[in-house]
Amino acid sequence: MQHRAFEEFAARLAEVDGQAHLVAGWAGAADLARGLAAGGSVVVSPSLAAAAPELIDALGEQAQVGSSDSAVAGAAEAAVGMVLGDLAIVETGSVLSSEDELADRAVSMLTPTLIQVAPAASLVSSLDDAADWLSQRAGRAGYAALITGPSRTADIERSLTIGIQGPAVVHVALLDDGGEA
Amino acid sequence: MKPFSQRYAQALADPNISTGLLSFQRSWRAGRDAQIAELEAQNGRSFYELRAELAAIKRRVRDDWDHYLDEFTANAEAAGARVVRAATSEEANAYIAGLCRERGIELVVKGKSMVSEEIGLNPHLESLGIAAIETDLGEWLLQLAHEHPSHLVMPAIHKRKEQVAELLTRVLGRPFPPGDIEQMARSVRTELREAFLGAGMGLSGVNALIAESGSLMIVCNEGNNRMSVALPPLHVVTAGAEKLVPTFRDAMTQVRLLARSATGQRITTYTNFITGPRPGAEQHIVLIDNGRTAMAADPDFASALACIRCGACANVCPPYQVVGGHAFGHIYTGAIGLVNTPFHHGIEAAAGPQSLCVSCGACATVCPVEIPLPTQILEVRRQVAEQVGLSLPKRLAVRAYASPRLFALGTRLAAVATRPFARGDVVRVPLAPKRHVSWRTPPAIPFTPARSRPDLRSGRQPAGPPLAQTEVAGRRVALFLQCLSDRIAPDIAVATARLLRAAGAKVTVPRGQHCCGLPAYDAGDWGPARRMAKATLEALAGADDVVTPAPSCVVAMAHEYSRLFRDEPQWAARARDLAGRVHDLVSYLSGPARLPRGALDNGDATPVTVHRFCQSGNVLGHTTHLEDLVRDLCRVPVRPLPENGVCCGFGGSTSLSAPEVAAGILERKLSCADETGAATLITDNPGCVLHMRGGADASGRPLQVLHIAEYLASRLPASNARADARGRPSSV
Repeated sequence: MQHRAFEEFAARLAEVDGQAHLVAGWAGAADLARGLAAGGSVVVSPSLAAAAPELIDALGEQAQVGSSDSAVAGAAEAAVGMVLGDLAIVETGSVLSSEDELADRAVSMLTPTLIQVAPAASLVSSLDDAADWLSQRAGRAGYAALITGPSRTADIERSLTIGIQGPAVVHVALLDDGGEA
Repeated sequence: MKPFSQRYAQALADPNISTGLLSFQRSWRAGRDAQIAELEAQNGRSFYELRAELAAIKRRVRDDWDHYLDEFTANAEAAGARVVRAATSEEANAYIAGLCRERGIELVVKGKSMVSEEIGLNPHLESLGIAAIETDLGEWLLQLAHEHPSHLVMPAIHKRKEQVAELLTRVLGRPFPPGDIEQMARSVRTELREAFLGAGMGLSGVNALIAESGSLMIVCNEGNNRMSVALPPLHVVTAGAEKLVPTFRDAMTQVRLLARSATGQRITTYTNFITGPRPGAEQHIVLIDNGRTAMAADPDFASALACIRCGACANVCPPYQVVGGHAFGHIYTGAIGLVNTPFHHGIEAAAGPQSLCVSCGACATVCPVEIPLPTQILEVRRQVAEQVGLSLPKRLAVRAYASPRLFALGTRLAAVATRPFARGDVVRVPLAPKRHVSWRTPPAIPFTPARSRPDLRSGRQPAGPPLAQTEVAGRRVALFLQCLSDRIAPDIAVATARLLRAAGAKVTVPRGQHCCGLPAYDAGDWGPARRMAKATLEALAGADDVVTPAPSCVVAMAHEYSRLFRDEPQWAARARDLAGRVHDLVSYLSGPARLPRGALDNGDATPVTVHRFCQSGNVLGHTTHLEDLVRDLCRVPVRPLPENGVCCGFGGSTSLSAPEVAAGILERKLSCADETGAATLITDNPGCVLHMRGGADASGRPLQVLHIAEYLASRLPASNARADARGRPSSV
């Protein structure tokens, strides 16, 4: 983990009202989610659940895994949603998540509090790295969302309101030990 | 849409527009500049280099449009999308309505799409009984209010919170206190959730079409766009093919400039890259031409297809601040709207709005794809003059201006007729039309023009040693008087000559000179403009250097003559030759004719403030030239003027055809001058001096407005100039 890169990433994200954390593995990510859910349920995107069964175990009964049938309702009702980040971009404090399935997208779109979990190795310096990552997948159908902090608007008298259609609270959890995803 | 004259009157009647936009423009400027500075530091390259890169990407696409279109289409279809090309708005609307009919869709959710506004998709769907609901907060509010967006990025920027609260209370039937913007903003989430889940079609625009993968790049801040795209089983995209970029890397170059230019953000909250439909769903991409092919084939306007719809051109536009986008534009607003409207909606639709441009050039300085908007607007104006026609008073005024004899006669008659009403610099004419004089007192017109003043008559070089041996010592410098400082403000011309002589130059005043042709060119009347330009080129032939107190004329000669003579290569060559020799006074005094430090220190150190003429900065590249001259030569402190360099509203013919706009911009300028507390405002273009002087008088401000030449010359030692009691050069 390049701590300086992380600090810079966290600073950029903080400027747009998001919070970055270094967490100790999947258990650390689960702790963060539990704390934010304050007793409510945690919905985990199917992609993240498939990549990290340890996370589901650590969350225990609080965890729900989105499914294509109940994706939208499940995500809207959960206290916290968790998705997998493919890249965390220092230049902008953004996280790129591929969300091909509706059940994945529903979590990042509809939950009031979102945690994007990404392996430490996913920290890259610039948007060009994201471009190259996307280029390598060219030719494949899919949906990738570069998310930078919580949903916002300034459409009424330019007054900033956080949390419109998307999540009002966004946390990014980078796994400190990296190698598990 | 209502006719322009009605939209203009409505805009003026609503003070919320100008107050809202003024505070928006100011905060946008600060936010955008900070973000651009960060980008420059990160890249080690200037904004101008970075935007040149994006402009080059867009140019590459235009040069090989069919190739990239085919590549995009093949890749998008391979990913499962259907790509359809529509030549006209009608074709596009019919296709989308057909999709609704085939699938029995009655509800459509929409992300923000200017193209859908361009083609009138909503009214078309509504006429067929299909509800199309806007999901962007601003667009949704306007839909509820039955209005159009007034800004490309901030659609409801013209609405105050009180109006929004009243609207929501009425439509949703529950109370919305005007003080709670958060409650109003969040209402869109609860109100639209069911629509998102029940809609049969999600409609969106697109920010970039990425050829290498057939992907769509769609950005938003609220999250509504991604929901429109993702939730319904059918996603339909409306786009112009000019949104193509070759690669993801190119798309990121656009991302870096888009949000910074649009809202002063580093990046939008959501930047989505969508390749094909989601599993089990459909995606149709409708590429709409509607005049784009014609635009691409037009060498004057092809570059405007590079537009990424950031709205920066509106965010720096002084007339836009006064009237907003409903008047300043048609469907597309701001400077870009004046330019692309003829192609998408016809020249008639562009005729009214284009008349509001003041040619200050600010839009071109912030455009992230280097579109030469001011030049293109003047080209639209020329076409309007040719195809729609100039108003009779305007045509007569241009023709009278074009004739040196009529102009001389007219100003003399005016001098005689108004003499009884002259009060110092201004003239209080009873019964003059209020619309034109209530906000700006007209200047007093002297009987003797500059060219007949003893100092400037041919063959006379007043005695007295130069103040210093500068680089121009002994050079033959032709003084181009400029029409206004010749006939209306001759003190400026006389002061200019004295300063040049103080620098050691031999000043001549070529006899054949009149006006450079700018007023006619600016009005779009190229016939008289060419005649005046040719007469000017003849008059100024031969001199080593040509210097004028009017930077606006330098802009005309060095930047506009080449266009004026695009079909007359011999005259174009002469114009190029002149462009190499002509200087505005400030450049000349800041360069070769620079006087020594303190040369004009006469002991009076009363602070002043300076306003840089808009085109001096935006076109000629001046920065702190005026401040430096005052500080270095006079040792006088300069109080910084807020919004220095933003147009004062003189704007050539605009202040005659749209006096309310000119008055609004002028008040913005004068209130900035108030903030400095300085009693003297110094600027560098004669027309602006008269404009601001008249404005200060009409508004009862004790502000003294001087041309830089007048100010500097008044401080020359007695052997070089005689100063009168008012601290101004005597008018001999």
